[in-house]
Amino acid sequence: MKVYIITGASKGIGKSTAIKLSHDNPGDLYIILARDLSKLIETKKLMHVDSNVITKPIDLSDSDKVIKLIRSIGDEYGRIDYLINVAGYVNPKSLLETTVENWEMTFKVNILSVFVLTREAVRFMKKTGGKILNVASTAGLSSRPGWSAYSSSKAALISFSKTMSDELEEYGIKSYVVSPGRCATDLRKQLAPEEDPTTIMQPEEVADVISNLMGENGNNLDGQNIIIRKQL
Amino acid sequence: MKKHSLLLLSGGIGTRMQQDIPKQHLLLFGRPIIIHTLERVDKIEEIGEIIITCPKQYIEELENMIINYNLNKSIKIIQGGNTRQESVFKGLTEINNNSVIIHEAARPFVKLADFENLINSEYSNISYGLDIPFTVLKKKDDYISENLNRSELVNIQLPQKFNAEELKQAHIKAKEEGTTFTEDASLLLKYSNSKVNIINGSDYNIKITTPVDYKIAEIIYKDYILNEI
Ligand SMILES: NC(=O)c1ccc[n+]([C@@H]2O[C@H](COP(=O)([O-])OP(=O)(O)OC[C@H]3O[C@@H](n4cnc5c(N)ncnc54)[C@H](OP(=O)(O)O)[C@@H]3O)[C@@H](O)[C@H]2O)c1
Repeated sequence: MKVYIITGASKGIGKSTAIKLSHDNPGDLYIILARDLSKLIETKKLMHVDSNVITKPIDLSDSDKVIKLIRSIGDEYGRIDYLINVAGYVNPKSLLETTVENWEMTFKVNILSVFVLTREAVRFMKKTGGKILNVASTAGLSSRPGWSAYSSSKAALISFSKTMSDELEEYGIKSYVVSPGRCATDLRKQLAPEEDPTTIMQPEEVADVISNLMGENGNNLDGQNIIIRKQL
Repeated sequence: MKKHSLLLLSGGIGTRMQQDIPKQHLLLFGRPIIIHTLERVDKIEEIGEIIITCPKQYIEELENMIINYNLNKSIKIIQGGNTRQESVFKGLTEINNNSVIIHEAARPFVKLADFENLINSEYSNISYGLDIPFTVLKKKDDYISENLNRSELVNIQLPQKFNAEELKQAHIKAKEEGTTFTEDASLLLKYSNSKVNIINGSDYNIKITTPVDYKIAEIIYKDYILNEI
């Protein structure tokens, strides 16, 4: 039985990813994380019935709690095969309106937590090999006036993922990074409140790509930023 | 299953130029050089324990490193001696198996199979060795004093495996006589009747000693360990 940890699984892309992976690989163990327990339970209900799903409410901006949780998962199950970092935070503001708290929270959720999750998971994953996937963004690739905290945190995430691909190779750990373009979720609504969500990419479409990458089809696609974007 | 002890010599001391970081703690493709060996050995069931000899000032740093890499094996770090020979002797007094594998932390390009070949060998005393592709002559003062026939010479490489008690007794004799050796096959040859078998080593298994070695180490890592070049 393989052990998956999926963050941001209460809604949007993370929720679709958890559902899709469980249907593609029923029978595995899925530990799904986010702050909102009731929404995690909703996700669980939509996952494959033969999958073993454990919901763990956690605030990823609290590094001590993240360390404790991953160590307890590693100790209890003896292995972590997949770490899928989907959780993300944005509070779009112009430079002059971005508070230090906003900047810190963006970096805590989007990159600091990924570093902590990765470091802790790799202490176990290095014994079996595995896959780590990070959801960055096309915003991490170009200038985004008004979203500088978010876009620079995603640029950091792309860089971190590429370094991990090299640094962890000898352990048999593959590191992936995907950068979705606009996708119909709550987070997108904050960035583009006026946009009609039915006209853009759906979270299920991103989840399909992630599930493919986590399977054998993805074995030669690690270490490079993969853009997932609906051409309009 | 017969268990072996690994004695890992981590004796290097940093120079000012390298900000006092000993070579075996420098990063090689992201991880300290000594960790490369430890992580590979961690997977070998036949290795029952690891003793590391290390200068006193680096013991704490090494202990923390080992915790961070979440290794499974029982690892004991002891303070090394003033010379390599003294460190090996100190290590030999700590081990709990009849067979010891000696390796140097500054040789990170040792593969799992290199250890397994020693473990599976019928010989209890065995060392890796390479032919010498260049000429080595003896000198006295500034003059060449004697020819050496290179076909009779061997470039000794670690790891090596020894019968621990035989090696220890040989060390005791060497200590009594005050003789010094740069590695243990020659010491055992001098002070025991045991034969040391030679198994073919690898050009890649270099000891990182000079700044040039460190520069080429990443290329060797990618080519030989990751198979990427
Ligand atoms: N939507 C897009 O257009 C788009 C484009 C490119 C990249 N992305 C990236 O895709 C990822 C998923 O976002 P989404 O679009 O699916 O948005 P979403 O529906 O708003 O989901 C965000 C997820 O992150 C979790 N999260 C946020 N802060 C958290 C915290 N402090 N602790 C724990 N979990 C936290 C949320 O869970 P709780 O609120 O329950 O804690 C939620 O599950 C993000 O990394 C985002 O940057 C999105």
